[in-house]
Amino acid sequence: MRHTRDLHTLAGPYAMDAISPPDRARFDRHLARCEDCAREIASLREATARLAAAAAVSPPPALKARVMAAAAATRQRPPGPEPEPALGTWPLRTWPLRTQPFRTRPLRTRQGRPTPSRRLVMAASAVAAAAAVAAAVVFGVSSGGMRDQLSQAQARSQQVAAVLTARDATMMTGAVRGGGTVTIVMSHSMRELVFTAAALHALPASRGYELWLIGPAGDRAVIMLPPARHGMTGPVVASGLRPGDHLALTAEPASGAAHPAGRPTTPMMLDVVL
Amino acid sequence: MTAIDRSDPDRARPSAAEPGAAADLNTCLRLVARGDADAFDTVYDQVAATVFGIVRRVVRDPAQSEEVTQDVLLEVWRNAAKFDPGRGSATAWVMTLAHRRAVDRVRSVQKESERERRTAVADVPFDEVAEAVESSLERERVRRCLGSLTELQRESVTLAYYGGYTYSQVASLLGVPGGTIKTRMRDALIRLRDCLGVAS
Repeated sequence: MRHTRDLHTLAGPYAMDAISPPDRARFDRHLARCEDCAREIASLREATARLAAAAAVSPPPALKARVMAAAAATRQRPPGPEPEPALGTWPLRTWPLRTQPFRTRPLRTRQGRPTPSRRLVMAASAVAAAAAVAAAVVFGVSSGGMRDQLSQAQARSQQVAAVLTARDATMMTGAVRGGGTVTIVMSHSMRELVFTAAALHALPASRGYELWLIGPAGDRAVIMLPPARHGMTGPVVASGLRPGDHLALTAEPASGAAHPAGRPTTPMMLDVVL
Repeated sequence: MTAIDRSDPDRARPSAAEPGAAADLNTCLRLVARGDADAFDTVYDQVAATVFGIVRRVVRDPAQSEEVTQDVLLEVWRNAAKFDPGRGSATAWVMTLAHRRAVDRVRSVQKESERERRTAVADVPFDEVAEAVESSLERERVRRCLGSLTELQRESVTLAYYGGYTYSQVASLLGVPGGTIKTRMRDALIRLRDCLGVAS
């Protein structure tokens, strides 16, 4: 697959730490799933260790005493993997939302035509770019179901575009505690929203993010978010918003959950007014 | 994925200084994990020069290099129990730690002194790589293997590994597209690995 092959060319830079933090995070996630790749990195690091050996220089003799003294005063870490945070305490399932400041309203220009705010346009283009990536990935799939998948992708893009271009489209953005940003564009009149996230904290392969609507009508699972591509998650569309709905993001087993696990999340207020 | 799984990493990786040191290092690390200070003393003697050498190569400033070296060795002490011999040699584990710490240090101070470093590192010729090396045999091997790379491969590896640059910085220094540099880096390391493996 094209995406995987592209990622794989990062093996050289990764083995030499010649990589930006986001690329490193992407590659780390890739390594967790790809046994062959992990072996390749290990073998390349044997080579880079030799490059280091060729640069050996004796340190000042006094350094040894300092290191030994520091070690004597330093507690060692136990073997085994770090304990996983308990389900209820995933650091980033909720985020504070600044609803008001990001409300955008149609503006009247001199020509008397509504203009989306610049911020909204930027979000719209980011979302559209992500949609294009999704479509491109579908393109790569073997020819059998390609037409179906392509038309599904097109339908999805159109659904996304419809929300983004709605006259009452409202954009909200918020920082995810623990890292990442969520951007939502919602249309009250369509009762739909487009959800995207960037740079969410990486989850182990066995887990994924699930989006929920929580409200008087009960908890509704919206969708398991697809894995991030280039740090970008989504766009996904949530339909059928109801008054009083809150939006929540939780970390769940990759197969999805019927109800949000753990304690109820502190949800993102959507302030759906219909 | 071909020609990757090259048997036991410690067998594929002869020691920098003397034969058998790699196995010793494994054993010592296991003892260090149990808090054995004598074993840590031995580990220090085996790796300190290489750690200091690569850190100084990347960081350049001698005082900062000492600090980073101390951090790295302390991390070896703290995390010895995390070392997994199934995933590479002990030397590679320590050197990966050392190189990453060195790179982290220069990137965190990069903004203030970006231009200086740019000039300083850009003109490190690869022959200088082996300056002041303790094991002349190892130095000679690495030099020879670096010499077997194409010029672009060699420059990419030298700037990235010894210079501490990201691949995109290397790409702009060399005026070559980033995609090309990424591939050259991987090709270069595969060739180096095979060349050094053969030499052992």
